[in-house]
Parts: sequence; C-alpha cells; structure tokens
Amino acid sequence: MGEISSIILRNVHKEYHRDEFVIPVLADLDLSVAEGEYLALMGPSGSGKTTLLNLAAGLDRATKGEVIVHGQDLGHLSEAEITRWRANNVGFIFQTYNLIPVLTAFENVELPLLLTHLSRRKRRENVMTAMRIVGLHSREHHYPRQLSGGQEQRVAIARAIVTDPYLLVADEPTGDLDRTTAGEILDLLELLNREFQKTIVMVTHDPLAAARASRVLHLDKGRLVDEVIQETRVSAAS
Amino acid sequence: MKYFTYIFRNARRNPVRSVLTIASTGICMFLMMLLLSFFANKNEVTDGSKIYNRIVTMNANGFAGMVPVGRIREIVAIDGVKAATPFQWYGGKYHDQVMPFAQFAVDADCIFDILDEFTVPPAQLADFKANKDGTVIGRRLASDWNLEVGDPLPLKGDIFPVDMNLTVRGIYDGPSNRDLRMCLFRFDYLDEALKRVTMSSSSGGSLATNSARASGNAGTIFIKCKTGNGMAGLCKKIDDLYHNSEYPTRTQTEEAFGKMFGEMLGDLKNAIYGIGVAVIVSLLFVAGNAMAMAMRERTSEVAVLKAIGFSKGLVLFLVLTEAILVAGFGGALGSLGCKFFCDVVDIGRYSGGFLPFFYVPWNIAIFGLVLSLFVGFASGYFPALFAANSSVINGLRKVV
Repeated sequence: MGEISSIILRNVHKEYHRDEFVIPVLADLDLSVAEGEYLALMGPSGSGKTTLLNLAAGLDRATKGEVIVHGQDLGHLSEAEITRWRANNVGFIFQTYNLIPVLTAFENVELPLLLTHLSRRKRRENVMTAMRIVGLHSREHHYPRQLSGGQEQRVAIARAIVTDPYLLVADEPTGDLDRTTAGEILDLLELLNREFQKTIVMVTHDPLAAARASRVLHLDKGRLVDEVIQETRVSAAS
Repeated sequence: MKYFTYIFRNARRNPVRSVLTIASTGICMFLMMLLLSFFANKNEVTDGSKIYNRIVTMNANGFAGMVPVGRIREIVAIDGVKAATPFQWYGGKYHDQVMPFAQFAVDADCIFDILDEFTVPPAQLADFKANKDGTVIGRRLASDWNLEVGDPLPLKGDIFPVDMNLTVRGIYDGPSNRDLRMCLFRFDYLDEALKRVTMSSSSGGSLATNSARASGNAGTIFIKCKTGNGMAGLCKKIDDLYHNSEYPTRTQTEEAFGKMFGEMLGDLKNAIYGIGVAVIVSLLFVAGNAMAMAMRERTSEVAVLKAIGFSKGLVLFLVLTEAILVAGFGGALGSLGCKFFCDVVDIGRYSGGFLPFFYVPWNIAIFGLVLSLFVGFASGYFPALFAANSSVINGLRKVV
C-alpha cells in the first residue's frame, strides 16, 4: 500500500509466562497499517488477535520486536508515558461496552477529557459533539442501565472519539449486539473512518463485520495466515 | 474537584455496604469519644481545682480510716488556714436509687467560704445554717430531680446506718465546669444521728471505734488556705501535727487528691485505652475488607480507566479518596454526633456524682475525625495500591 504507515509492527514476538510455562502468542509478526485504514483482525480463539490489538494500542508490550504507532516506538516509552500516549492517541471500544454504571452517558463520555486541562465549558462542548456524532445527544442524562445495548455501545464510541484520537481499536464491538444494532454500530465505525479519517483496528469473529473493513487479516497460532484487501473500502480509505 | 462526581457516585454505589461501613465507623468513633472524654473531663475537674487554694486532709491509711473532727479547730488555728470543714461522703439512696448523686455532710457555717466558687442567695444560706435538717443542692441537681426550696429530700442510709430526712433550704450555682450536682447537708445532723446509733444496743457499738463512719469523725477535712503560696508547707505542718497520733493524716492539695482517684483507675485506664486501640484496628479490617470487595467488583472498570489514560497515581488517588470519604463520613457522624449528643443530653447526671459534668471537648471530637480519616486512608491504601498496580489486560479480560 502506498500510504503513510500509521502502525508498524516489525518482527514482533509476544509470549506470556504462566508459572513455569511459557506460552507463545505471536511469532515473527510483521504488519503495517496505513493512516486512515480500517483493518479487521479475524481468527480462531487464541490466535493472538486481541494480543495484537493490545500491542498496537499500547496496552501491552512486545516480548521482542518493534511496535511503532504514528512514528512513536512504544517500546521506548515508560509506563507513565505510554499511559499519557494512550490518553492522547487511542480510543477504545470494547465488546461489553465497559461503561461506568454510576455515571451518566455524558459523564462517561467526559471521563477521558478529565485528564486534559480543558475548561468545564469546553469539555461540555466536546462531549456534546461526540454525542451528536453517535446520535445520542438527547440521552446525555441517562445512566447505562437506562440504555439499550446498541445505545451503550454508541456511548462507548463517543467516549472513544471525544479526545479526537487518530487510532480507534475495537475488540468485538458487535459481539453482544443483535444483527440490526450491530449493523448500526458498524455504520458508525465506517462513518468515523470515512468522514473523520480515523484509523481503525477491529477484532471480530463476524465475517459480516469484517466485510466492512478495507483489509481483513486472518491470524492462526500467532501468525498471519491470510490477507484480504477489499477494494471498495480501500478506495474509500484512500 | 472534577473527579468528585466519580468518587462520590462510587462511594454510594452499593448503599447497603456503604451504610454498614459508615455505621460501624460511626459507632466505634462514638464509643471512642465517650471513653476519651471521660478521662479528659476527669482531668479537667482535677486541674480546674488548682485555682481555689484548697487542701484535703484524710487518714494516712486511706478512706477506711478516720479523721477526728475535733482537729478542725487545731487546723484552723494554723497560720495560713482560712477555714476548714468536715467533708463526709454519705452515699445514701434517693427514691431507692443507690448513690444517684454526691451527698456530703459539711459545716454549714463555713462550707461556702471554702467552696467559694459557688454562690447561694444569703437568705437561703441563713436558712440552711438555721435548720439542722437543711440541705443546699446544686442547680443541676435541682433541675435533674425537679427540686425546689422547701421540698423534702429524704436520703436512706446505705453506707451509714442512719437516714437523713432533709429539706432543701437553698440552691447553689457556680461555674459550669464545677460540680453543680452536690447535695450538701449539715455534718452535725449526721453526727448526732450516728451518736444515737452508736450508743444503741442494737448496733453493738461497733461503729464507735473502727471507722470514719463513727460519730465525731469525718472521711476528709477540706481546708481553704489564705493564699496559694505555701500550700505544700501547710500540708506538711498538718501531717506533722498528727504524725505520732493514733490517727496519722495525709494532707494534699485538692488537685492531688483528685488525681489520686484517677490513679485508683490506674490499670483500668490503660485497659480501656487498649480496648480502644483494638476496636480501631478491627474497624480498619472491616473498612479495608469493604474497600477490597468494592475494588474486586470494579476490576474491569479500573482497567478501562487505565486503558483510556488514567495514571496509576490517579487511580490510587480516586480509590483512597473514596475510602477516606466513607470512613470520614462515618467518623464525622460518630465523633461530631457524640459531641452534639453530649451537649444536648446531660450524661454527667448518670455518673452518680463521679463526674459533675460530661461533654466531648472539641479537640477530642477533631481527633476522632482525624482518626476516622486515618482509618479511611489505611483501609483504602492496599485496595487502592492493588487497583493502581493491576494489569489492564487482565482487568479487561475479566467479565463481571
């Protein structure tokens, strides 16, 4: 691909230690994700999809190899630096939404902005913008328990984009949703990729969800085994 | 402040657990305040007597021994002594309640020259002096039992084999930190009653020689000195006077006399402090367990916070503040609640004359509050540290 690389993984190894056992998860993995690309990671359970996602998002560190995101080698950052880096550059979308149940939709979306020096007024503006993008601006005072699954996921997406990160990572974002709602969430992710040029890396088991991405990578036993470039989406990303 | 909403909402997330933690902290602090204030009040009474230049003579062998009242004349004659009175604890029943308040047999002619912090209207004092069965009672005692001048106040002998059928002749008042619950009646009234019993065949005359409860004797003699200087010398002079007598004396300042009672509590005081410390430690475990449970339930939430950029320090701060908020609220309820409770309800009334008043001093209430905050900090520290150091990956993997 001719675009500027947003995420570069070079010769990445990742293994976990459980007691005396060493469990290899990723091996000799090379990957490049272009800026504004919408990448789907597929594969059976235990294939290393989520681990790869975590490495790209700066949640985990490679045992060996380089992980460079937006020009920043994550291996060279301290824990405090990588935490700050995540706050500024990555938005997270989880399968189970992971909203804070005691906070309203507005307060949930506002959480990442509490880490900034923005004024209360500016924070409110940003939150309402994000809520409008996901179509939930009228539900700002609702608690997660008062929202449907799809609405909760929209709030989670608003929380992920409220700081305007350039990378969105989504781990099975439609895994807990019915087909129609899942379609709406995928539409939203597509919109964020197309209209706001967000680079998206999504882990999914759902072929229909993966079909929305510009590229689909298949992992098995920690290695890339297949790559499908979906032309229509590639042109959109470009 | 911008994190307060999050902290506050988390603190009341599980209302039952929060209420139980707040209640246990509050009750412990309430009891701690009572214990600490008891000793503080006792010390205040003792220390407060310094300024009145009084000394107290008792038998060198303790309260069981007697001090012949005939010595009062000799004591008053000593240079530096202004006045002296027998001061005999009676300890009778009133309305079948054993020792509901302090009762002392005293010399009506000079008692208010000696206890000169108290004032009695002159006409009432004259009435008290003129009537052998008269008594002057403190303002608080009168209020407690709804007594007025002219009311009968019959006391049934409990320690003494005689009853005192008294009539209230006056009501004294004085500074609020002094004992306004005493019942002071005439020593000669008690003495004459004892003489009658001592001489009767039914008592066998056994009271005549062996104890301070016999006629002509008092448990203590209260002495007013002309100045505060030389009180130690006066004490020695009095004791030297009776050094080789059948009834040697021990004379000390009123402050030292009060402290002697405190020393009698000796080990009990340490035991009570020990129990207090044990209660705080167990409270710490209870609050710590509540916080640990709360954190365990929020593992994935903490992981999300850390994933979106909350630093370890910030997570530590959020959890610790929540723990301090809960324990601090409980502590404030307990310590300040105890203070206001004791300000409204007169606990001193129920101490049987042991404490003339009871209140929770501000410094003790503030100490209770600070102690609660410490309990919050200590109970939240390890759960907070655990949350701050928890793995984001493991936390996100956990499905609650």
